[in-house]
Amino acid sequence: MRKRTLNRGLAGFWWLTLVFLYLPLAIVVLFSFNSTNSAANFSGFSLRWYHRLLGNDQIISAFYNSLILAIVSSIVALMIGCLIGYGMYRHRHRKLGWLIVLIYLPIVLPDIVFGISEMAFFVQFNRLTGLLEPGLGTMIIAHVTFQIPFVALIVYSRFVGLDPSLFEAAKDLYASPFKRALHFLLPTVKPALISAFFLSFTLSIDDFVISFFTAGPESATLPIYIWGAIKKGVSPEINAIATLMIGAVALAAVLSLLFNRQGRR
Amino acid sequence: MANIQQVTRRHAVVSETRHLLFSVMPGAVWILIFLVLPSLYLMAVAFMTNGAYGLPELPLSLDAFKQLAGFGFLGWSPGNLYTLLRSLWQTLVSTGLVVLVAYPIAYYITTCRTSLRPLMLLAVVVPSWTNQVIRAFGWMNLLAPGTPLSDAAQALGLIGDYMGLYPSNFAVTLGLVYNFLPFMVLPLYAAFEKLDVAQVQAAQDLYAAPVRAFWHAVFPQTLPGLLAGTVLVAIPAFGMYVIPELLGGGKGMMLGNLVANQFAGGSNWPLGAAGALLMLLATFVGLFAMRRIGKRLGGGEEVVI
Repeated sequence: MRKRTLNRGLAGFWWLTLVFLYLPLAIVVLFSFNSTNSAANFSGFSLRWYHRLLGNDQIISAFYNSLILAIVSSIVALMIGCLIGYGMYRHRHRKLGWLIVLIYLPIVLPDIVFGISEMAFFVQFNRLTGLLEPGLGTMIIAHVTFQIPFVALIVYSRFVGLDPSLFEAAKDLYASPFKRALHFLLPTVKPALISAFFLSFTLSIDDFVISFFTAGPESATLPIYIWGAIKKGVSPEINAIATLMIGAVALAAVLSLLFNRQGRR
Repeated sequence: MANIQQVTRRHAVVSETRHLLFSVMPGAVWILIFLVLPSLYLMAVAFMTNGAYGLPELPLSLDAFKQLAGFGFLGWSPGNLYTLLRSLWQTLVSTGLVVLVAYPIAYYITTCRTSLRPLMLLAVVVPSWTNQVIRAFGWMNLLAPGTPLSDAAQALGLIGDYMGLYPSNFAVTLGLVYNFLPFMVLPLYAAFEKLDVAQVQAAQDLYAAPVRAFWHAVFPQTLPGLLAGTVLVAIPAFGMYVIPELLGGGKGMMLGNLVANQFAGGSNWPLGAAGALLMLLATFVGLFAMRRIGKRLGGGEEVVI
């Protein structure tokens, strides 16, 4: 009897928490369809803010910046991180303590410290040499830096999960190092590489703080644009663009669930 | 014979080293140049003098740290100290609240059907995949003056007429709890899932009251998860920038805002760097403390981040 009341209470708390988690997103979605620009009451369904969106060059260019930044940084991080992950696996027997510290550093560093140290460094470097002007280039460098550890750890954990004799077998069959990489290593880490790419991509799209401090005047990403629009005074277009981003996340969630189901079957 | 073996072994060592250099070096060099070097530079900035346009200049000095403690041109003022205390307070309160919400949630998920659990975890995590600026914006919409929540708070006399629940310290706390809830639910869920039920049954067999059974048989087993969650919540909360900036207004500033404003406004880099150094110190002290506690609990590996 008592147990049942407890369970009912827990279920109620669970649904309450779900409301808490989804209410702020729901309100953004709802007001993106508002026909007036009132932030307080909903006065009828319309798509005008979405129409406005299409005509806003700043938003379009912010969208492209976000995309370029995420794709390029993920690819670079994938190459560097994959090598590290493999090296970490192959050379575990050596003391790689210093390397592990290096790898974990970008993860434990508070993002505001990360962002401003990159910014301060780039600004001074630019003053001294004229290179690395704040813009997409510096943002890509910063993003690669925080993506590398995630790629390395994913690839490393894939290798660790494999039977070591597989590596011996590949060697015993007199495959050249190049052939081994092409026919054995790459195919085995392919799933890890794909998931690492998607993780890097999401981390990059989702990042605000580090992008904010390493961006130049022409390289605003979507979160930076939204931030600026909020700071300047709320425009209902933000609801529309935010809704599109929420939609993309929801889609990703559904896809990941489907893939997971398939993977388990 | 021995000679040949030695030679081949040496050859193997050389190629191993070359291999190590090839695989690990690009990344290590990248992180050294683009992370370690900037961090060291930032540390150096904290010990420089504030020059023209807020850029750091020699000579070295401790001015920035004095300013951080509140000593300015006009004598001592408590502004920065308030910001520091507010950061600590907000971290403490929001972490505590996150635990209070996450603990029952994590437990409840483990009582549900196994096939349902991934879906439930996903439901908790999905909102945090949206950009944090958008999530804070959602709360701005919900807590602004004239919204149902603010009206209700006015009717209860919690806030003055024509006011909203945002901007306020309350809004910041709410935003922090909202932001970090999944980071606590996941490790706690992992702990609950591994829970050794035999211990609970043993406690019940010994006629322990439910509260006692919980305290002696369940709680200690979830402690590693709780600890991991605390690290994941408290450390980033202490340096939070976006939520206090959007939901707190001028009076809800935290250390992250203090630091960022010194750089974004270009007013005083050394002061900002000193604040960042403090944040870094807090991070490492926090990590170290958690590791020590985690080791004493015996569940050391889980707590390592």
